[in-house]
Amino acid sequence: MRAHRIWTCLLAALAVAAAAAVPVYGQGLPVTYERLLNSDKEPGNWLMYSSNYKSWRFSNLNQINTENVKNLHVKWLFQGRHQEKFETTPLVVDGIMYLTRPENDVYALDAETGRMLWTYSHRNPPRTYNCCGKVNRGLAILGDRLFMNTLDMHVIALDAKTGREIWKETIYDYTAAGGYASPGAPLVVKDKLIVGMAGGERGVSGFLSAYDTATGKLLWRFNTIPQPGEPNFGTWAGESWKTGGASTWNNGSYDAETNTLYWGTSNPWPDYNGDFRAGDNLYSCSVLAMDPDTGKLKWHFQFTPHDLHDWDSTQIPILLDGEFRGRARKLLVWANRNGFYYVLDRTNGEFLTAKPFVKQTWNKGFDDKGRPEVIPGNEPTPEGNDSVWPGVDGGANWMSHSYSPLTKLLYVFAREERRTFTKNAVRHPTTGGDDGGGGFDAAAMFRFRRPRFAPEESWGKVIGIDPGTGETKWEHQVVTPPWGGVTSTAGNLVFGGTLEGVVFALDARTGKRLWYFSGNDRVYSSAISYLANGKQLVSIPVGDVLITFGLD
Amino acid sequence: MSKLTKIICCFLVLLAPLWAQGRRAAAQAGAAAPATPAIPDKNPFESPQDVQQGGGLFQTHCSYCHGSFGEGGRGADLTTGNYRRGGTDSELFTTVRNGIPGSEMGPVRASDEEIWKIIGFVKRLGTAERPTDTRKATGDPAAGQIVYEKKGACMSCHRIGEVGGNLGPELSDIGRRRGVTFLEESLLKPEADVPIPYRGIRVVLNSGQTVAGVRLNEDDVSIQLRDTGDNLRSFLKSNIKEIRRDQPALMPAYGSMLNKKELDDLIAYLTSLKGAR
Repeated sequence: MRAHRIWTCLLAALAVAAAAAVPVYGQGLPVTYERLLNSDKEPGNWLMYSSNYKSWRFSNLNQINTENVKNLHVKWLFQGRHQEKFETTPLVVDGIMYLTRPENDVYALDAETGRMLWTYSHRNPPRTYNCCGKVNRGLAILGDRLFMNTLDMHVIALDAKTGREIWKETIYDYTAAGGYASPGAPLVVKDKLIVGMAGGERGVSGFLSAYDTATGKLLWRFNTIPQPGEPNFGTWAGESWKTGGASTWNNGSYDAETNTLYWGTSNPWPDYNGDFRAGDNLYSCSVLAMDPDTGKLKWHFQFTPHDLHDWDSTQIPILLDGEFRGRARKLLVWANRNGFYYVLDRTNGEFLTAKPFVKQTWNKGFDDKGRPEVIPGNEPTPEGNDSVWPGVDGGANWMSHSYSPLTKLLYVFAREERRTFTKNAVRHPTTGGDDGGGGFDAAAMFRFRRPRFAPEESWGKVIGIDPGTGETKWEHQVVTPPWGGVTSTAGNLVFGGTLEGVVFALDARTGKRLWYFSGNDRVYSSAISYLANGKQLVSIPVGDVLITFGLD
Repeated sequence: MSKLTKIICCFLVLLAPLWAQGRRAAAQAGAAAPATPAIPDKNPFESPQDVQQGGGLFQTHCSYCHGSFGEGGRGADLTTGNYRRGGTDSELFTTVRNGIPGSEMGPVRASDEEIWKIIGFVKRLGTAERPTDTRKATGDPAAGQIVYEKKGACMSCHRIGEVGGNLGPELSDIGRRRGVTFLEESLLKPEADVPIPYRGIRVVLNSGQTVAGVRLNEDDVSIQLRDTGDNLRSFLKSNIKEIRRDQPALMPAYGSMLNKKELDDLIAYLTSLKGAR
């Protein structure tokens, strides 16, 4: 009897010891809202799309640093086996990675080995309407639930331990107007899930929604185009407000101190023809500051009034507390698709300064409210205006920027290019008539020598910007305008990848390239960094593969 | 009810929701793109007016990616006459209506008639049927073939069928794609319009050696080219002092090498090349 008891004790002790040595899956859950607020204190995890609510996309890990990054090598691959652009940002919670794969599949992987733990698949109908690929950009997590938006306008809650579907709600009819989609990652604020939508190329009417994370109930919906009777309704001529676009297809940021949600909006529709939508077209191409509890607008700032170049302002807002002209201020900084870097006071939307960060031809300055002084001759023309910088994809696009609190620099993977802007005949995708010609002279097209932009006429560059002044401190040039973003780390590194698949690490202080890997397929996303079994890893999608790098 | 009937009934009851679901899916898909029984082989909408309307529709639906002039950009260059997904009318129709899975090209949300008009326009991009170029070749094609093969030495860089080099564009169907004015200009001023894949570059190595050719590929760390000897080469940029792009045409200007008759004959020969299609 006594011997038996001793054995029992011994076995119990062994079990405890084993549990301490071997990580147990799921022990990192639940991810409380408190943990999300303090995500900077968990550098081993990547708890939300942009790493923290200020959207710094910064990892506080420094095992991999400027000294040893030359030894970085591939640890494991996740084979996506899909044909779409791989735009996801994975989440990592205590050794488990959660990621989306096109179209709307979710995987849980062991972050140390890449081995799959469970998978979930949402089947979209064969035809969905995202403008630019059947993509998904990632998940949000709260408690033990993951949340995903879908191409056919659903929002889904999954059990993070099993991938079991908990609730699924329809956001909107995905076939309405020219078609709606929701390719972005949602954002958790308190107990709410903030969900955006896309469709600005197809005559939709934009909105931002909040759902109850517990039940999936719609809590509020803010129309990004004011409806009759609402303030700023008169900024669209005639009926154009009904199909004005102004979608909300990327991610946002949140300031808990002032309880303010910041979210950017897309171009107005029709993209390149403003004839039928005279006016500023609020709130297109704007940043919205909102009360996340009620969905009420606190203030707005419009970067590009009456946009004609498809210059969405759906970049992710970056929140900084810093000095501006000798005074401590709460700042919102924004490298915009229109080619200008903006500094705003995020408590009231006051315009502080703006400066071009790429070549631009359209704007000669700003009034003191931040309204651009537009230079004539940059409008789209029926035969195609090919002298406008930046191009239709902008100086920046949806790809993430990064801020390092160590170097105090903002990192932007910018695009230098021009492109032909054509004033289209306007025909609504569903309601327009059959006069697609619209008086357009096809023969005239042949009279123009076709423009050809040589590869070296456009390029990409990672720049380190002084956030207070907008001054570029350093630049690392790459061959092609990028579609990937950047991520900075406490190892004083900036990670990113090019359209040719060159994954790189730059010195965050100088921009010097310290390491690269030839991935040889297109990078359409940004890196994340995290710990697996105590070791720092860096993961980035290249082609349809998620590549994970480590030191040993 | 017999046991068998019961089983059949159960089976049907179980199938019913699946059937309804299928109907719903079909209805949804149908709302977006009505199914047509068969795609005609030949474009039924090719009148000049159709092409004109197709040009406008192209601006609305296609120019965002393929450029105002079909020159490409985010999407493929449509002026070459070569279509990776097939160049027959029905293949182009399928590509435009359904999009290309795995690419940025989604289905074009237009009626079948509109898609045909777009295709009518697209097929005229980069072809000789430009309204402004109605010149007829005046030379002797047979004499031109001899100029092509001997004095012009064109085949050292251009291929017709299976014969010739790879440094310049293939000419098997150049007469279908290009008019007299364009061909004349290309012979006299080759630098006027060099297709991007055939622009000459010169790589100056750290050692001082220079390698000329056409660029096949490039990223931040390396560049790949076909050199003028038709060899495939790759260089790390760390070994390169400079990449020069200031002489885009590798082809000589033929104005000083051929007389007027020889040029006219050569143009007549090139115009006669209509390819296998």
